[in-house]
Amino acid sequence: MSDMLNTSVSGLMAFQQELDTTSNNIANASTPGYSRESVNLVSVPGPQIGQLSIGNGVAVNSVQRIFNQTVASQVVSATSAYNQLNSFSSQAAQIDNLLGSTTNGLSTQLQSLVSALQTVANSPTASASRQAFLSQAQQLVSNLQSDDGSLQTLNLQANTQMTSDASQVTALAQSIATLNKQIMADTSPSAQAPGSLLDQRNQLINQLATYANVTTTQQSDGSVNVYIGSGQTLVTGTTASSLSTIANPYDPSEDDLAISTPAGLTDVTAQISGGTLGGTLQFRSQMLDPARDGLGQIALVLSSAVNTQNQAGLDQSGNPGQAVFAVGAVQVLPSSSNAGTPAVTATVSDANAVTANNYILRYDGTNWTLSNASTGAPVTMTGNGSAGNPFSADGMSLVVAAGAQAGDSYRISPTRAAVAGMQVLLTDPSQLAAAAPLLTSATTGNTGSGSIDAGSVPNPATWVRGDYTLSFTAAAAYQITNAVGTVVANGAYTAGAPINFNGMQVTLSGAPATGDSFAIDDNASGSGDNRNAVAMAGLLDQPLIGGNTSINGAVNQLVTSIGIKTSQAQAGTTAQQAVLTDASNAQQSVSGVNLDEEAANLVQYQQAYQAAAEAIKVASTLFQSVLSAVQS
Amino acid sequence: MRISTAEFTSQAILEIDNQSSALQQTQNELSTGVAVQTAADNPVAASQIVQLSQQQAQLSQYGTNLQSAQTRLTLEESSLSSATNTLQSIRDLAVQAGNATLNDSNRAQIATQIQTQIQALLGTANTKDSNGEYLFAGYATQTQPFATDSGGNVSYQGDAGTRLIQVSANQSVADSDTGATAFMNVPAGNGTFTTAANAGNSGSGAIDSGSVTDLTQWTPDNYALTFTSPTTYQITDATTGTTVVANGSYSSGAEIQFQGVQVSVSGTPAAGDSFSIAPSSNQSMFATLTQLTQALTQPADSAASKAQLATSIGNALTNLDQGISHLSTVSASVGARLNMLTAQSTINTSTSTTLATQQSNLQNVDYASATATLSQQMVSLQAAEQSYAAIAQLSLFKFLSS
Repeated sequence: MSDMLNTSVSGLMAFQQELDTTSNNIANASTPGYSRESVNLVSVPGPQIGQLSIGNGVAVNSVQRIFNQTVASQVVSATSAYNQLNSFSSQAAQIDNLLGSTTNGLSTQLQSLVSALQTVANSPTASASRQAFLSQAQQLVSNLQSDDGSLQTLNLQANTQMTSDASQVTALAQSIATLNKQIMADTSPSAQAPGSLLDQRNQLINQLATYANVTTTQQSDGSVNVYIGSGQTLVTGTTASSLSTIANPYDPSEDDLAISTPAGLTDVTAQISGGTLGGTLQFRSQMLDPARDGLGQIALVLSSAVNTQNQAGLDQSGNPGQAVFAVGAVQVLPSSSNAGTPAVTATVSDANAVTANNYILRYDGTNWTLSNASTGAPVTMTGNGSAGNPFSADGMSLVVAAGAQAGDSYRISPTRAAVAGMQVLLTDPSQLAAAAPLLTSATTGNTGSGSIDAGSVPNPATWVRGDYTLSFTAAAAYQITNAVGTVVANGAYTAGAPINFNGMQVTLSGAPATGDSFAIDDNASGSGDNRNAVAMAGLLDQPLIGGNTSINGAVNQLVTSIGIKTSQAQAGTTAQQAVLTDASNAQQSVSGVNLDEEAANLVQYQQAYQAAAEAIKVASTLFQSVLSAVQS
Repeated sequence: MRISTAEFTSQAILEIDNQSSALQQTQNELSTGVAVQTAADNPVAASQIVQLSQQQAQLSQYGTNLQSAQTRLTLEESSLSSATNTLQSIRDLAVQAGNATLNDSNRAQIATQIQTQIQALLGTANTKDSNGEYLFAGYATQTQPFATDSGGNVSYQGDAGTRLIQVSANQSVADSDTGATAFMNVPAGNGTFTTAANAGNSGSGAIDSGSVTDLTQWTPDNYALTFTSPTTYQITDATTGTTVVANGSYSSGAEIQFQGVQVSVSGTPAAGDSFSIAPSSNQSMFATLTQLTQALTQPADSAASKAQLATSIGNALTNLDQGISHLSTVSASVGARLNMLTAQSTINTSTSTTLATQQSNLQNVDYASATATLSQQMVSLQAAEQSYAAIAQLSLFKFLSS
């Protein structure tokens, strides 16, 4: 009888435990990171009575936390992948809205500049149309600068975002270390680790994954070591490192990520991937910086081309044209760790050959080497770096002064600062050089088939202005006389070969006869000439950049590449969200609480509990029966 | 598969969020009418849209250029027509001046009238367009192209430049002609040669402006027609010094033929009188008119001076005819350019329409399909919401408690 009582009581106790566990599951049905628990029961074997053995009830073996490390790890990696793409695509959308508009973008502004030039070409002496050109040029500059300014603001936002994310990572690392400590204290060799602490720690690791890629290793003492990025130690046992932002060694306006180690801060920017930090870094290197460099390249090539054309013509007063635009200089940033103090100066020698890349110039103690900053590929330089024979590479001239120490390096960004320093130099509308400098013509009565081109003034500084006559003293010999009849040049005639004299250049073709002559006049009075303005208006479609891409083409490429990256990121985000949902489903399928299931369990355990209680009642009745039999 | 109750709810909400977001995107497209708003919406289409709008802006600028050229060419056409009228009036006056019954003072009056017409012609040649640019000055549009010096001679001050206006991607049109082309480079005489009477002639012989019978025989040299007696003449090539006709027999008004050309002398030339025949060169209209007025203001009191006058008036009439025909040639070229502009304008308009259609196809919303998408998305969202509402009601607890 006492066996029956004990057995039933053990049942009562066990079902009590199961009911408690079930109600705990129900209570935590909405707790993030909670893993459901279940009670493992074992039957207690009874003593051997003859050939019989009757069990001695039930015992609670353990309360099991239903958890699968594999699916949990999948959630962690899916979380960091999703957050990287989501952060990248939402930031990319800002640039897309800024530069990718199909109706009011940079190309519209450039087209307006061309239209203004064409209007000047229709009536070069009308000051209203000249003024309209200057205003349009000003408008273009301020639009470019507004775009560049917005990109700089995005850079500041990225810095702020990274700083805030880094401090969140640090706080999470500290919480994980604290939980590690508690779990280690509670996990004596035999005792079971408390599920709630494990769930909390797991949840913190999940949160960490929203900021960066996370990997963990489980230690035998119950703690986990946490690594971010490509294996940077963040938590070891009860010790947490901190993640923070520091200024980029070259460019203080861009923050880098640094992790604290016993040896001090270590720059881990290149190692961090995944999560919002990875997304922001990727956005900065793949969209933000290329967009600024691309805009700078367009500004640089445009201003160089327009300046050259304006300088090749004559303004309304008949004077050689001046530069129209100025752009910011090549940006040279010394590394903060440089030991030497030489001055490195970089200038643009050929705007059309300049790329939108960034470069690193390094000194190894004897030689200077140049490499592409993003790919690390070496870039060949000619020259020796002296002022007389500067290093020359990709349209840049680099002059290095003495005093560099081995290991010194510089980041060179040829176009990064171009837009910020851009301005319109012309102040007077009459300074637009709409006219060509020379007016050439064949003299009426020439008997040969010779013809002369429009001529040009390649070198305005050596131009001796005046009217000249080129006459043929023989079919293959020419001489050039000035207005008072003095011979200033003569030579043998070759059809198609340029003839240079007094800073001017003309090219004749065909077969002139002896005695034929051509007038090469100073076009100083030709204020109604529009040839230079027409040539300037055609610049945007010329294959200037690298000899194969027009300015219009470059704008289009920039906008298209921004659009493609943004739309790819958006599509990737949607896809990765599905992956995250699947992983989360799988994890919740194992560890999540299903209320219907708990309801059924509740009923089952309640009934079992009631049955055990009934068994006690029966035992009691039996005992009473025995007592009353003895008494009577 | 076990479904976690909390996960079921969060997934249902995620799905509803996604559907709402897609619905909002479609609604935005429908309300703006634009399917591709930024490059990310459709990078390839966006690139084409940007290029198409560039081309359209370029075409619209070509339209502006075209109008500007049209305005100037129309002005030139009317200037040339008024110059033709002026020359025609002067020609009438010159014919009138040739009337033998007129005396010196009558001719002087006609000369005065011609002077007034010259001023009118000068005004026409110095026409300015609406921008204040001289129409016939070449590139030197701020320089008055035709100026009269103290000797009454009109010279051209402009240059030989012709402004080209771009009216399509590969077509440019000259928006005027230089003053040299329009008024200065007029072939003198009959276009092949000019005739003149020697100033010292004493007879009454007057030479006409002649004509060409066979151009292949003509050598462009200077010739002298000299009367050896009132009835005989000889023609020498003054350039080479050779004699072309040794002994011709003269009768008044008869054609004298040599080297594929013919001239006629009328009246009674005296022995020793001579006439020159020279290859034609270009002469300005103003020079022709100045010569005419000078001839009309000379007293014609002798037979010789009357003959001189007749020769001068005859030459002037020939030159005036040349001028009128020259102006009509220039005018025809202007007309051709205007026709070309009209044709180009039509081409530009139709190209622009094509581009706009292409752009619209790429950029604008297809309302039919967008509306269909919208209703489909609405159905989906509604289904997601309704199914969630229904399923969320399900709970075993409900049944157990009853």
